[in-house]
Amino acid sequence: MKRLLESSSAGLDRRAFIKVGALAGGGLLVGTYLRFGAASAFAESLPGAADNFAPNAFISISPSGAVSIIAPNSEMGQGIKTSLPMIVAEELDVPFEQVTIVQGDLNPAYGRQMSVGSQSTPTNYAPMRRAGATARAMLVAAAAQTWGVPEPECTTEKGAVLHLKSKRRATYGELAAKASTLAPPADAPLKDPKDFKLIGTRVPGVDNKKIVTGVPLFGIDVKLPGMLYATYTKCPTFGGKVVSANIDEVKKRPGVRDAFVLDGIEGLTPGIAIVADSTWNAFSAAEALKVQWDAGPVASQNSAEMARQAEQLAKSTPPAPLPGGAKVVEATYHYPFLAHATLEPQNCTALFKNGVMEMWTPTQIPASGQGLVTRGLGLQPKDVVVHITRLGGGFGRRGSNEFSIEAAAIAKKLEGTPVKLMWRREDDFGHDNYRSNGWHYFTAGLDNAGKVVALHDAFVKMQGGPGDMSAGGFPFIVIPGSQVKSSKLPAGIPTGYWRAPGDNGNVWATQCFVDELAHAAGRDPLAFTLDLLAAAPPGNGRGFDPAKMTTVLELATEKAGWGKTRQRGEGQGLAITHTNNAYVAIVADVGVSREGVLAIKKLTAVVDAGTIINLSAAESQVQGAMLDGISAAWFQKITIEHGAAAQTNFHDYRMLRMNHAPPVVDVQFVKSSAPPTGLGEPGLPAAAPAVCNAIFAATGVRVRTLPIIDGSLKWT
Amino acid sequence: MSKYTVNVNGQAHSVDVTPDTPLLWVLRDSLGLVGTKYGCGIGECGACTVHLDGKPTRACQTPVSEVGRAQVTTIEGLDPAGKHPLQQAWIELDVPQCGYCQAGQLMTASALLKSNPRPSDADIDKMMAGNLCRCASYVRIRAGIKRAAELASAGTANGGRS
Repeated sequence: MKRLLESSSAGLDRRAFIKVGALAGGGLLVGTYLRFGAASAFAESLPGAADNFAPNAFISISPSGAVSIIAPNSEMGQGIKTSLPMIVAEELDVPFEQVTIVQGDLNPAYGRQMSVGSQSTPTNYAPMRRAGATARAMLVAAAAQTWGVPEPECTTEKGAVLHLKSKRRATYGELAAKASTLAPPADAPLKDPKDFKLIGTRVPGVDNKKIVTGVPLFGIDVKLPGMLYATYTKCPTFGGKVVSANIDEVKKRPGVRDAFVLDGIEGLTPGIAIVADSTWNAFSAAEALKVQWDAGPVASQNSAEMARQAEQLAKSTPPAPLPGGAKVVEATYHYPFLAHATLEPQNCTALFKNGVMEMWTPTQIPASGQGLVTRGLGLQPKDVVVHITRLGGGFGRRGSNEFSIEAAAIAKKLEGTPVKLMWRREDDFGHDNYRSNGWHYFTAGLDNAGKVVALHDAFVKMQGGPGDMSAGGFPFIVIPGSQVKSSKLPAGIPTGYWRAPGDNGNVWATQCFVDELAHAAGRDPLAFTLDLLAAAPPGNGRGFDPAKMTTVLELATEKAGWGKTRQRGEGQGLAITHTNNAYVAIVADVGVSREGVLAIKKLTAVVDAGTIINLSAAESQVQGAMLDGISAAWFQKITIEHGAAAQTNFHDYRMLRMNHAPPVVDVQFVKSSAPPTGLGEPGLPAAAPAVCNAIFAATGVRVRTLPIIDGSLKWT
Repeated sequence: MSKYTVNVNGQAHSVDVTPDTPLLWVLRDSLGLVGTKYGCGIGECGACTVHLDGKPTRACQTPVSEVGRAQVTTIEGLDPAGKHPLQQAWIELDVPQCGYCQAGQLMTASALLKSNPRPSDADIDKMMAGNLCRCASYVRIRAGIKRAAELASAGTANGGRS
């Protein structure tokens, strides 16, 4: 039996989060009892949980003193499998290197298991601290009772309770059985952040050794006995359907076990499944498919036509007139569709047996995959078990779970046989939920003193998905009477969440335009931005604190040596962003040859993200996010032709490589004891505008259309 | 289907696959060596990099019929104990983000260090440009290669393996 108890995550009481039980053999469990599927391709299971009905929990401490901690969220490179257990270990007071980290399956007891929106750390920080502190308090109580001493006289250190007066010491393992008989305290004391020993240090990722030795870890690595391999081919045009296909021919290809059309399943894009005895035989057979598609209405959409429509929409209602006498500055900024291009193509392994769908999924939102499968295939949530594997990149792509319903629909047809669905890279580029394209038609007015007296933005993007503009963000919030008019192009091309949704394109456009305004006013961009920040009202809907932004900007520019005179062809640019509640200022140093060849020499970032959990992962995230943003701005573009993506693989969808990476990427965090903000995304949005503003400083060339490689940076 | 004998990490394996099957899928599906990754299937991303007689090679572009008697080394064979200087440096500097590209990065980097034990930034950029890291962990990959070079020259790690 592989079953999850029926339970609703919607009504989960955070208080009920902490429960305590005994492990077989006298260990302590802190968390929640659950029945759990134990079969796994490479199971990471807690000690004592080998039996199908064994309990499972956040923390387990065995009589031998072995401590295991569940990592509930999906690891996709953001370091969450290391940093969340660090929070527990800090409050529990155990040496982290002695803790075994276990990837949790989808389980309502773990709370919010979504790795999206840079929210894993902020939403889990308090519950994880409480879990660790509760276990620690119970171990202290167990020791105090055993020794007959007052609890406040006991302290903890490195997995043991100490009573210094009587020089007694007991390990957590020795106390586990006794502790498991005690009631958990309602409000176990939390550490004062100044006493943190683990939080804020550099801890290497817990899976690093597996990664560097090639141990199975990712969704694509799942292998089950008797497993078959599947591809799923969809119409290149979005929304298209299968009319007919040479299914019988394909079935005769080497190694092919089955082939069939899937259609009429809720949440599933119609297509053709091919199941074979190896990935290659499935891929080869898919290449031999001859399909007549009904392309549908989206076939008339293309990028060039969208640009024409965007201009019409933006100019259909003229902006309010500018104050009399103001100097007018106008500019149009455009960013294209982007693919996520996770390096591990989408995949999912599924086994349908005895009415239960068991899945191994590299997903950012396992519950959404479970929901798709439940609705699409008419199963109950308790009968859809989701094991979370490591993800070979996420970037927002794996929040949607098409691969889950595709794999499950195929596995349901092959009842009893495990099937790994593998997307080809071409499937991945052709069927993404792209970052929407966008256009900003800016009009601003400057008074005689160079002050911005009006700012209008006519913004256009695709209908649906995230990334809309509002006048609530910086710099609009500080300019009285600023206006944002948002229009939408007709839906049809699937768009979705791409790392730092909205900000990834809109901060580029607005931060470049602020730089234009500074130059139009004859002002230094730093002084100009600081003046804008000084005019910002403290506190607003997005919780924007201009003082924090000013601090990171001043620190970053100071570190980067802002304001030094440079020869032509070399320049500095700055940009700021307030993303996922973090404050980020970035200075880029670039060189541009007369022929227009760009080299990024240095990036300097200062970030206020509240409490930093794992300094190593935090630094790595900001470095990677900056380069990710620059990679997108410099090289990346998905073009829509006839309702389909024109780019198919990394040869025509270029990305940043080692030879483009700057030699110095300096990241510094503001010391803070405020709760942690997200950090997977905030490093991204300001990087590209800092680079584009540096290009202008170096060359006088203003980049207003992305990607940068589509234009010329030549100067004389 | 045809029978082939491939020598992987010092062991001979017999497989029965179509002649055009790339070495990548022989490793992953037939031999269960899944450390070598699929990223693009066209030799553009480098995630499938293995060594053929010590030379970094794209396993997705190498049909099994062309492997012949070449010695194939995969990430599993670099040093299973994780003591190769690159592996040590990768752990010490916490190089991986998602980690998916890292097997390919390590196999290319180990070939680089073998021919050039003290590579400059320019040497690293040139050799490593074929290996895409979607998380853009390039700064740490570069630092990791330099750290591994130090470890190898100090003799504190097992620098002798391929």
